Amino acid sequence: MTETLNSAAAKNAAEDRADVERVLAGEVQAFEGIVRRWQGPLVNMAWRYCRDRGRAEELAQEAFIRAWRGLAGWRREGSFSTWLFALAANVFRSELKRFPTVNLPLEKAAEPAEPAGQHGALAAQLCADAVRRAVLALPMRYREPVILFYFHEMDLASAARTMGLPEGTLKARLSRARGLLRRRFPQLEAEQGATEFAVHNAGKEA
Amino acid sequence: MNRKKKESEAMELSRIDDILATEEELIPSSGFLGAVMESVREEAAMPAPIPFPWKRAVPGFVLAAGVFGWGAVERVRLGVPAMKGISLVAPRLPAVMVQPMEQVGWVALALGASLLSWLLSRRLAGRSGLL
Repeated sequence: MTETLNSAAAKNAAEDRADVERVLAGEVQAFEGIVRRWQGPLVNMAWRYCRDRGRAEELAQEAFIRAWRGLAGWRREGSFSTWLFALAANVFRSELKRFPTVNLPLEKAAEPAEPAGQHGALAAQLCADAVRRAVLALPMRYREPVILFYFHEMDLASAARTMGLPEGTLKARLSRARGLLRRRFPQLEAEQGATEFAVHNAGKEA
Repeated sequence: MNRKKKESEAMELSRIDDILATEEELIPSSGFLGAVMESVREEAAMPAPIPFPWKRAVPGFVLAAGVFGWGAVERVRLGVPAMKGISLVAPRLPAVMVQPMEQVGWVALALGASLLSWLLSRRLAGRSGLL
């Protein structure tokens, strides 16, 4: 993301607080400021949960409506963004449980094809897509830590706060998820090795 | 061997990290903000949900608790002397008769409780204008 989530949260904290106060005082229009500031992160977060643009917007909209209803429940000692992300994660989790996206089991997730030299960029893109789709095929217990860890730019503490889990638990689940992905895509390792070998040789030749 | 495995795992992790961390940013559609605000305004315009009529319900709950409590006390009070009179040799009644006699009391109690709760809920709903 162009602006990191944490710096955006810090920058927006005062505005969020002011807008929440105005909304609670009965000024409905003040909620627009909150939506304007957080629509990007929430839609992107929802996208990572379902990989469907239309569904992501629906989920983000539902999260905003729940935030509107529960705004009085935000305790001021925590940051607004932490509260909003935790609420959104709950909404996405429960909505996707009610109406799940069609995901292949992890064993059936497509493996990236052998990259041909002339189509390197395309092959890399296909490979990245395959890995991202494979994340959705992980069991929810492991899927969510992966989604939130990378959504929070690999900040374990933020991801743990969003999930409401201790950092150690999240770390363990993350490690297990990575293990599953590694087993599913063993050739990524070989591919990486081959790339490094090629780069090393090219350096030698030069 | 172990070191090699660890190195390859670290390499693999960085590859997966690279892929998952470099996600293309999605821009919300132009109508998203408007759609959310429209839903929020609809929510705000809706009448507040009818609160549960605790003031009316509490006397009912107290009454029901009293009735059941009184029933329990009476049962114990009548049961204790009856227990004293029980001889070790119980009269032998045919099993076909004993079982229905035991169950009649429970069935009557359940019916009474159902009737009471039905009357109470009807009364509450009627007062709140739902019936």
